[in-house]
Amino acid sequence: MNERVDLQEFIGGFVVEADELVALATASLVEIETGNATGANRPKAVRELFRALHTIKGLAAMIGVEPIVEISHALETLIRTADKGGGRLRQGAIDVSIQGVRAIGERVRAVAEQRTPAAAPPGLIETIATTDVASDAPSAPPPLAHAWDSRLSLGERQHLYQGLRSGMIAYALTFQPSEDKVAKGITIATVRARLAELGEVVKVAPRTVTHPVRGVVFDVLFIGNAEPAKIAEATTVAVDSLERIALPVGPADTELPIELVEEASAVTPLGRSIVRVELARLDELQEQLSLLIVSRFRLEREIVALAASGVDVRRLREVSDLQTRQLRDLRRAILRARLIRVGEVLEPLTLLVRSLVKPGYKEVRLSLDTRDSELDKAVADRLLPAIVHLVRNAIDHAIEPIDERRSKDKPAVGSLRVTCAETSGNRLELSITDDGRGIDRDAIARRANRQIPDDDALIDVLTTPGFSTRDVATETSGRGLGMDIVRRIIVDQLGGELRVRTELGAGTTFRMLVPVTIAIIDVFSFSCGSQSFVVPVAAVEEIFELAPEQRVSPPSSGGAAGVSLLERRGKAITLVSLGEVLAIDPGTSASKALVVRRNGEPIAFAVDRMLGRQEVVVRPIDDILARAPGIAGATDLGDGRPTLVLDLVELGAKIASRERSA
Amino acid sequence: MATELHVTFRVGTADYAVPAAQVLHLESYDSATPVPGAPSYVAGLVQVRGRLVPVVDLRARFGLAPVPHSIDHRVVVCQVGTRVAGLLVDSARDVIRIEDGAFEKPPDLVEQQAGGFIKGIATVTKKMFLLVDVPRIIGEELSHG
Repeated sequence: MNERVDLQEFIGGFVVEADELVALATASLVEIETGNATGANRPKAVRELFRALHTIKGLAAMIGVEPIVEISHALETLIRTADKGGGRLRQGAIDVSIQGVRAIGERVRAVAEQRTPAAAPPGLIETIATTDVASDAPSAPPPLAHAWDSRLSLGERQHLYQGLRSGMIAYALTFQPSEDKVAKGITIATVRARLAELGEVVKVAPRTVTHPVRGVVFDVLFIGNAEPAKIAEATTVAVDSLERIALPVGPADTELPIELVEEASAVTPLGRSIVRVELARLDELQEQLSLLIVSRFRLEREIVALAASGVDVRRLREVSDLQTRQLRDLRRAILRARLIRVGEVLEPLTLLVRSLVKPGYKEVRLSLDTRDSELDKAVADRLLPAIVHLVRNAIDHAIEPIDERRSKDKPAVGSLRVTCAETSGNRLELSITDDGRGIDRDAIARRANRQIPDDDALIDVLTTPGFSTRDVATETSGRGLGMDIVRRIIVDQLGGELRVRTELGAGTTFRMLVPVTIAIIDVFSFSCGSQSFVVPVAAVEEIFELAPEQRVSPPSSGGAAGVSLLERRGKAITLVSLGEVLAIDPGTSASKALVVRRNGEPIAFAVDRMLGRQEVVVRPIDDILARAPGIAGATDLGDGRPTLVLDLVELGAKIASRERSA
Repeated sequence: MATELHVTFRVGTADYAVPAAQVLHLESYDSATPVPGAPSYVAGLVQVRGRLVPVVDLRARFGLAPVPHSIDHRVVVCQVGTRVAGLLVDSARDVIRIEDGAFEKPPDLVEQQAGGFIKGIATVTKKMFLLVDVPRIIGEELSHG
């Protein structure tokens, strides 16, 4: 089961918040303008303007409205310069900023009306980027003493000048395509790609020429710190044809470089210490690690075999033990790389709360206290819908309207606290506490027609599928997940615990204990006999249709039936009936074969039917009563029952040893 | 005299008791996921409140013939030390108080035949209750072997 948080849930909150911030930004701009009229700087207003823009950018990024992110980022950069320059913002910059803020406002409206926000107005970003905060009119950047000057857009010019100011060197060169070069695989596209490795391509512009031959050449403007010889080699032009372009000297040049240096020193260390990695790559790393663990098991077995034949394996054993520890450390390091901050995960809640409260009628203050807790991305993704549901319930049902709270001598604004802390044993405790009505145990007991002696019994009733504390679902809580889904996520999927403590009239706390990391693997599910199983995708080399005429039964020396031979791509491979190995149904309707490799030898397992492929949370089987060779753990495919995760390689080993002893 | 709460249940024709302190909860029983390769008296795995719990079929454990599934079937989820396991029983009846001294050692022949699964016998209001040895039933010997 995959419950994803719908972005729609947050849009209401976004609109409310962004509207306010746009108003704040506009008010700040007006104040700065008024200040300018009297010749006074308003550094406080500039700072507020900066904060507003920064927050808008963050919110828009959260719900993925790119035009707003783009405009607010450009404005933020401009205003930051003003802020650092002592809060000076002259008329030209104010005009540009007002344009930008208006453009943001228009796009917020579009989001509110569920239209797709338009891209940033043409030229706006460039204008903002080239505006000088301290001059009275948007300043034109100084011209370039080169033919390129007339061919650059404002943005490209900014790109070039910024590169030059930061110490890069600019070169103009001309790439001439030819049949020879094409034959060697060199085209303008490959040149572009090669240059991108050496620095930055500012612009590539085609130009028709008649000399030496009629055709198209490409003028390339490049900045970087690479040696000219490297650039020449990458672009197949002569070194001496590279033209170096210098930074023109102009009025804007006097202040800006200082800002840029500051900027660079503030940003670079962060940029260097944080790398964004696709989750799939971390998964790949984990999969490789598990393969390493499997091959280490094999090594271990070989050592045991060697020892049994009388070889002195002490030194080998030492190395092997060292490897075990190293593998464990490696596993920890990989798991740590997957952790993200809980604070980051819960950030959307602020928007959610904004969209659920009704100013003047019901107000709620959300406080998040997550300290430095971290959580596996996979756990976080599954957990968020459960938290969203609990927060929604708290605001919708638990926290009273302002009037009711006043009459009960409670603060008018309700409080909702989300806290989290790491506990022992790789677990995280998350609590959601409200100061609302509390849950009426007696009323629920009557409704459920069951005794509810304590809060543990209460959570059982609350999370019973189909149970609702309200006859008429309200606008917000009527849809989405029920409490039973919260339990399914926390308890069944994540293997955590869900508890409640409630006091009538005083409030309710939901406590969730969840594992910080879980093993998520990609599996194939299939049926064999009347049972379903899953097997890790990584372990399966091939799946193919089983045709009865391909099978050959070799002589059996008694007992060990179920092994036959199969012709596959001109080779004979062993085919075993999974049903017989597991001593369940004989599996006469086997239609598919799953191939795994054991000690380099392929073994095909005949199964009845493939059911699908999915990502599951695997839980180890801890108890000796249910531990058996070839059973790697269990998972829940969504039906609330355990489904066994098979280790077909180990099962293959089991058959081999059975054959030997037979 | 001190008394202790016991959960009572029925398997075949006999009534059994287990100290309530060892019982986490009673669950209704639909089916379990069989675990190939596990001991024959293990009915399989069930998921109880997110936890994987192995279930011992007490009919199989006590050498009784299997019966068709019934809605009366219950799983008595027990905790012994850090281990949690379920006992599949024909029906679970009540929670009763039994005096501490009420259990007597079973007769030798009975004890032998029961393979050590029965620790004592108590008679409460003319009804006989056999006190089961949960650690023994859930295979404490497996953990040493």
